Amino acid sequence: MENQITNITPDTLKTEFLTAEDCRFFTSPGGFLGAEIRGEPHRRVILSRALPISQPEDYLCVSDVDKKELGIIEHLSDFPEDQQKLMREDLNLRYYCPAIDSIESIKEKMGQFYFDVKIGGKKKSFTVKDISKSIRANGDGIDITDVDANRYRIPDLASIPAKSRRMLEPYVY
Amino acid sequence: MKKKKDKKRLPEKQKRGSFSKEELEALQKAGLDTSSLLMCCRCDMSPDGEYKDSWICFDEKGLYCAWGTEEIDAKKTKHGKHEIHVTIDTISALPIEDADRLICEKYVSTGALVTEKDGELQYLSRFSIGKLGEADTFANAFNDYKNKGSFDLPPEDDQNEDKCKICGEPCPPGKEYCRKHEKNSATAIRLFKFFGGYIPQVALIIFMMLLGSAVRVYVPQIGTRALFDTLLANPDGNPVAEQIKALGTLVLSIFGIRLIHTVMSAVQQYFTGSIMPRVTYDIKMRIFKAMQRLSLNFYSSKQTGSLMERVVRDSNNIYWFFVDGVPEIIIDAATIIGVIAIMFSMSWRLTLIVLAAIPLVFLTLYFGDKVFRGMHHRSWLFSAKLSSMVSDNINGQKIIKAFSKEDDEYQRFSDVNENYRKAELRLSLFEATAFPLIEALIVILSAIVLGVGGVMVAKGTLTTGTLLSFIVYFEMLIEPFDFLSWVSDWWARCADSAQRVFEICDAQAQITEKENAVGFDELRGEIDIRELSFEYEPARPVIKKLSLHVNAGEMLGIVGKTGAGKTTIANLIARLYDAKQGCILIDDIDVRDLKLSELRKNIGLVSQDIYLFIGTIADNIRYAKPDADMSEVIAAAKAASAHDFIMKLPDGYETRVGAGGRSLSGGERQRISIARTIIQNPKILILDEATAAMDTETERNIQGSLSKLKKGRTTLAIAHRLSTLRDADRLAVIEDGTIVENGTFEELIRKKGAFYKLYKIQAEALKNAGILSSTDEAEPQDETED
Repeated sequence: MENQITNITPDTLKTEFLTAEDCRFFTSPGGFLGAEIRGEPHRRVILSRALPISQPEDYLCVSDVDKKELGIIEHLSDFPEDQQKLMREDLNLRYYCPAIDSIESIKEKMGQFYFDVKIGGKKKSFTVKDISKSIRANGDGIDITDVDANRYRIPDLASIPAKSRRMLEPYVY
Repeated sequence: MKKKKDKKRLPEKQKRGSFSKEELEALQKAGLDTSSLLMCCRCDMSPDGEYKDSWICFDEKGLYCAWGTEEIDAKKTKHGKHEIHVTIDTISALPIEDADRLICEKYVSTGALVTEKDGELQYLSRFSIGKLGEADTFANAFNDYKNKGSFDLPPEDDQNEDKCKICGEPCPPGKEYCRKHEKNSATAIRLFKFFGGYIPQVALIIFMMLLGSAVRVYVPQIGTRALFDTLLANPDGNPVAEQIKALGTLVLSIFGIRLIHTVMSAVQQYFTGSIMPRVTYDIKMRIFKAMQRLSLNFYSSKQTGSLMERVVRDSNNIYWFFVDGVPEIIIDAATIIGVIAIMFSMSWRLTLIVLAAIPLVFLTLYFGDKVFRGMHHRSWLFSAKLSSMVSDNINGQKIIKAFSKEDDEYQRFSDVNENYRKAELRLSLFEATAFPLIEALIVILSAIVLGVGGVMVAKGTLTTGTLLSFIVYFEMLIEPFDFLSWVSDWWARCADSAQRVFEICDAQAQITEKENAVGFDELRGEIDIRELSFEYEPARPVIKKLSLHVNAGEMLGIVGKTGAGKTTIANLIARLYDAKQGCILIDDIDVRDLKLSELRKNIGLVSQDIYLFIGTIADNIRYAKPDADMSEVIAAAKAASAHDFIMKLPDGYETRVGAGGRSLSGGERQRISIARTIIQNPKILILDEATAAMDTETERNIQGSLSKLKKGRTTLAIAHRLSTLRDADRLAVIEDGTIVENGTFEELIRKKGAFYKLYKIQAEALKNAGILSSTDEAEPQDETED
């Protein structure tokens, strides 16, 4: 017991992060994100967000294809521009979350909410169930998850048309 | 035996998968020979990860990907057909020999199909997570085709591919509209069918309602018009005594009419009240029956709360709409028609003024109500959040105090309460301002009618009594219009409830018994699992081509880490789920060919999750054999080492357990569940981590009970704790959904493989915990440290 107590030192609560000097990312021939981490090359690495909603570019876990963690990046912004671009592209593909420009209609039926929205100027329809969990306020924006687990985002609720806002507001928990 | 041949999709058949004519034409136009496509799949993302329609397919020569747009022109619907415009922007082809395998990868909100050639991976196509199932099926079909030259299509592919008549989206088999556009009228017709057995009563109810409305509408004719024009105005100059007599007759007439109205109302309510409980009883029984028929995966995909809501709340929603809403609609509609007809007969000029203003009143009521409901909903959401926060706080008091977080919790509550206060304030202010405004509108309209009517009275074209009764009639219109302005919302909620009810009633059970299902003549208990594959969700296989043989009467221990697929094997043997590929034979009969009752009667499942039903201990023990007498119950309890603790309870075997009943420890509950299985007397016994949550002493007690139970049966004991499996004849080690080792304890230890590793880890853990000394380590003598 004594041993366990003495082990809890300030260092115990410190996480060692990967720095730009520790690793270099590249695109492997198959189109996958690869990395050389502390001198060890990995043809394919997987980036996961620890805080995908509030801080999507901080605390990124780097792991290999066997899901073994290779390290954690504290801030994406600490890396050179080209490296940031590679990582951001890969993250955006995994955590695809298009921004909603406007809401055309929200129709409720059988406890499900049918959304007709515009994303990038194109119409998109999706269904949301259990609105108290699927529609989440996130800072100034709103995150929506549909029944298939697809994610959508309104980065700034104030920036969408007033009509869209009025339609959505009753459901923002 | 299962006719597998029918489901094969062979190259010669040139199956084109599920692409529509328009899609095939567009692909053909883009240069792809679509005549010999074997399998197709629609995806929805471009290579750079944006939403874009895409089509993936393969034939004998290659694997093809096309990207473009598909637009369904809903407006040009003609005879149920849609104009579908497909444009292909890009198309790529990969020779089939350049892909050894197709891998379906799942990411967070997307996925990808990746080809593998000599160990090298290459992105083929991306898709949003909703397309994962389709993509996974496509990948499996491609891989099977590469390996065997043929592939099986999942049953879904054979289903009706009707498209919604409004939006063109796929709709459930046999239906014309998708869920979004399913018409409430269809639901109403189906709902009214529940009243089919009560037609005379319903006809009487409607007759009473109409008659009641007519009587009600007639009251102002006497109560106001006759009172003013005949009695008070006294145009014939009758003496006072005669006038008083006439007044008495008038009052008695009004009383009589009111009495008739009340009697009719009572009769109507009596019959409504007698029919509706029967109808809701039928609805609840229909839901409950459907729920018993459905397979376990239906329950996995629905929350328990949601299902309970369907049984209770939805049927109540239907009940109240028909008890309160429907009579009100009929009465109000009849009142509106009757009142307007009388108003016309009294003064067509004033009636036209009223009719011109009615839409304004109706719209004001409609929109006012809509805003009010929106605000009320928001207030309700905050109120619900507040309630859950209070509940969270009460349940977590120990932790809150341990971390000294009382002030933080107070602040958290205060923030939500503040939001609730604001929502309530907005609602109150709206109520305080909007409703008087609506009232004012009605008063203005009454004033206009009174003004115009007053002029007409002055000119002698209208009597005072007629004008006053006209005003009364006008006010009689407001309430029905107010009701009709929001009853559509009420009906929508009722229709939603009805649709949810019908969704359960219509749901297809995935585990069904074949028409010519067979039973056992005499069950030996031999189990043969062949090339079994299973997944709970697409692209996440839990069991991968697993083969295993268990001899009749043998005890096989299955060991493996958490999530390796051990429990899934138990579920598949008991046919709680059906395998995706491969089969399970019991005494050489495929479990899918067996009668379900026969199969389940012969398989006893003791699992880690113990569920005791509401009732006495005796009721729970005899659950599998309700006619078991007390001597059998006591014998089963004794065999399960449960008798002693049951007898120490004040109510003995009559102790009530389950929700609201006496709390029993995990070990006690488990022993009751073992007694329940003993009384079932199954030929095949599956012990799925039966003692995983027990302490060592309880486990030892229960192990003794289980040893008695194993005699004369085939036993599959699943455990991650190796001590549980000391009596097993043979052990199988499962890793990542497949058997990696199989043999006796000694054989596996000697092999120094996966089992040996597990054994060493657990022995080390026990040694570190001081449970096992280094000399206690039960390792065979010939073992050496690696």
